Amino acid sequence: MSVVKTINGCMVRLEKGDITQADADAIVLYAREDLKLGSGYGNAISIRGGPVIKQELEAKGTVSVGEAVVTTAGNLKAKYVIHAVGPKFQEADLDSKLKRTILSALQRAQEKTANRVAFPLMGAGFYGVSLDQCASVMIAALEAGLTEKNQPREVIIYALDSREYAPFQHELEKLK
Amino acid sequence: MVTENRSYNAQKVIERLAKKVNRQMAGSLAACVHCGMCTQSCHYVLANPDDPTFAPAYKADRIRRLFKRHLDWTGRIIPWWVKAGSVYTDEELAELMDTVFGKCTNCRRCTLNCPMGVDLAVVNRMARGLLVSVGVMPEGVAVVSKDQWEIGNQMGVLKEDYLETLDWMSEELQQELKDPAVGIPIDKFDCEVVYSINPREVKYDPRSIADAAKIFHFAEENWTMPSEGWDMTNFGLFSGDDDLGGAVARRLYEKVEDLRGKKLVISECGHGYRSTRCEGPNWAKYDVPFEMESSVITMLRYIKEGRIKVDPSKNDISVTYHDSCNNARSCGMTEEPRELLSYVVKDFREMHPNRAENYCCTGGGGAMSMSEYTPRRLKSAVVKADQLRATGAGVVVTSCHNCVDGLTDLIRHYKLGMQVTQLVNLVANALVIEERVAIPVEIVPEVTAAGSLAGRKILVVDDEPDILTFFASVLADNGAEVIEAREGQEALLKARSEKPDLVTLDISMPGQDGGKVFEALRRDPDLALTPVCIITGRPELRRLIYDRPVPPPDGYLDKPVNEETLLLNVKKILKVV
Repeated sequence: MSVVKTINGCMVRLEKGDITQADADAIVLYAREDLKLGSGYGNAISIRGGPVIKQELEAKGTVSVGEAVVTTAGNLKAKYVIHAVGPKFQEADLDSKLKRTILSALQRAQEKTANRVAFPLMGAGFYGVSLDQCASVMIAALEAGLTEKNQPREVIIYALDSREYAPFQHELEKLK
Repeated sequence: MVTENRSYNAQKVIERLAKKVNRQMAGSLAACVHCGMCTQSCHYVLANPDDPTFAPAYKADRIRRLFKRHLDWTGRIIPWWVKAGSVYTDEELAELMDTVFGKCTNCRRCTLNCPMGVDLAVVNRMARGLLVSVGVMPEGVAVVSKDQWEIGNQMGVLKEDYLETLDWMSEELQQELKDPAVGIPIDKFDCEVVYSINPREVKYDPRSIADAAKIFHFAEENWTMPSEGWDMTNFGLFSGDDDLGGAVARRLYEKVEDLRGKKLVISECGHGYRSTRCEGPNWAKYDVPFEMESSVITMLRYIKEGRIKVDPSKNDISVTYHDSCNNARSCGMTEEPRELLSYVVKDFREMHPNRAENYCCTGGGGAMSMSEYTPRRLKSAVVKADQLRATGAGVVVTSCHNCVDGLTDLIRHYKLGMQVTQLVNLVANALVIEERVAIPVEIVPEVTAAGSLAGRKILVVDDEPDILTFFASVLADNGAEVIEAREGQEALLKARSEKPDLVTLDISMPGQDGGKVFEALRRDPDLALTPVCIITGRPELRRLIYDRPVPPPDGYLDKPVNEETLLLNVKKILKVV
């Protein structure tokens, strides 16, 4: 089950599944400022990817909201994990910070010449960004960010279930 | 950031308050007459008679003052009279967090005894949800919530580990019953029963899955377990996050529909049963097209329909029953478990008070995940301990995994010497197996057979003498050579000199904590491959282990750990068949 659209020449695909098992060049983790992997996807990345990811993160210290850093991905299918630090829990200026976070993640992907980049629903779920808000900001950010020549060929957005899938499907289908 | 002399988070809480208060909450917030009837209902009050901050009316007032100030006309006209107030600072939000998460388990016993019908749990849960929405919550609540949002279950069990455990239990059953046809069907379509479980069963109590499978097998049930959407627990009930509640419930319902299952059977878990069967459809706004049933009722039905036969003499133990708050007070399931017990045990001793009047296990409302409140929880547990002791029973049965953990912990703390078990274990043990499979069922699980760990050297590291002795005794009784260490440096020295086959490691210890010891073990070329099982009573500290840049541990157990769980996990890690 997937929805496919094209944004500025880049294929944007909506998938249902577990992003940590994505067959992509880079996967994006919605990270904490202290870059601790924590629970949820972070725990899955830690267990499935192995210790190398944490070793690389240790050297990076902390990262501000809106920024992103890259590590290798250990035993994951992906080559890289992009740790993008986004706004959390109704933070002020949420839309603009979220957009900046997504653009930073795209920038890191471009620097690594990652052709296929997988995004989770940035900030939705635990961190409380509503699905509708998340969908509109993410698609707008992709439209803004996917403009350069060395952009990824494919962006895959991972939703865990039908509840998460539907608003993104709706937002993507609004694209021409 | 400050808005109108209020911190950013405090302002967001106040803004959201109006959206969260429904008619039921408004009734509870408006109706209290401070008569004090609730006071003697609360186990926190009974254990702390000199501290008025534990009184249900006081706790409700922490939330009520906000309602009066911002939503009720009386608070605008006569605020001093109705004690209206607000929150302005992050420190005040932290104080509110301490009350709503740390001084109430949402057990609803005070509600039952309120002449005005004030439901503190509903109001308390709402306040929890407000705080969670701005990120103010105990670390353990954050860890568990994020796991359930993103991994799909509240213990972060990965799909491959879940499926491996089901496979492992299938093999155990096949060996036990000497029948290769026995097993756990996964994702089978058009079944009469889709069985959902608590992730605790996968991590710490897989025998309960095997016991349920055994019962389904002998009842000749057409059943299955889902590969995804299998977690019937719902941390949204505890955290007050209705979005999480709805998301989790919907995943489960949709999976049952995908499999075209006719009935969802929910394993023994109080909050799971309430969340899935009672609250979930509202949170998820889901019109559930199939029947939902507690496994207690399923097992009782099998006996009454003659689909399984049981012999109570096989459970030659004295038993009492602890009613889970969510099952008994919130869902009215009080008689079915007792009727089921009457079929599978002979010596039943009622606990007093019981049914809807029973006292909380003290581990409810997510309390077991908030270790910062453990001393407070265990102090309040004296009420439950007295109740248990008075029964004179050797075993306490409960239909709730949360209660199993809460009771096990307080039984050890108060040295009651009782065991905790669930109905599924007793029913499976009492099964009368016809000639077709004439295998006697022993009350002691096969894994506890003496000598099974013979030849294995295990280093047990824990600073609590009682726990150290308990773990060491269990492992030694099963043939292992046990080495003990009480703190980190001693553990490292003994690991290097003794070269154990396995290290069980506590995290929170004086001096060098378990996290540092773990990393040192992993970085030592001679010990890097030695299996390590973390056993901790402070789950929020697991980041001290998993955030380290070394391979993760081979096992992880939350205290309290009973004998069977310890042995099962040790054997699994050591690959002892």
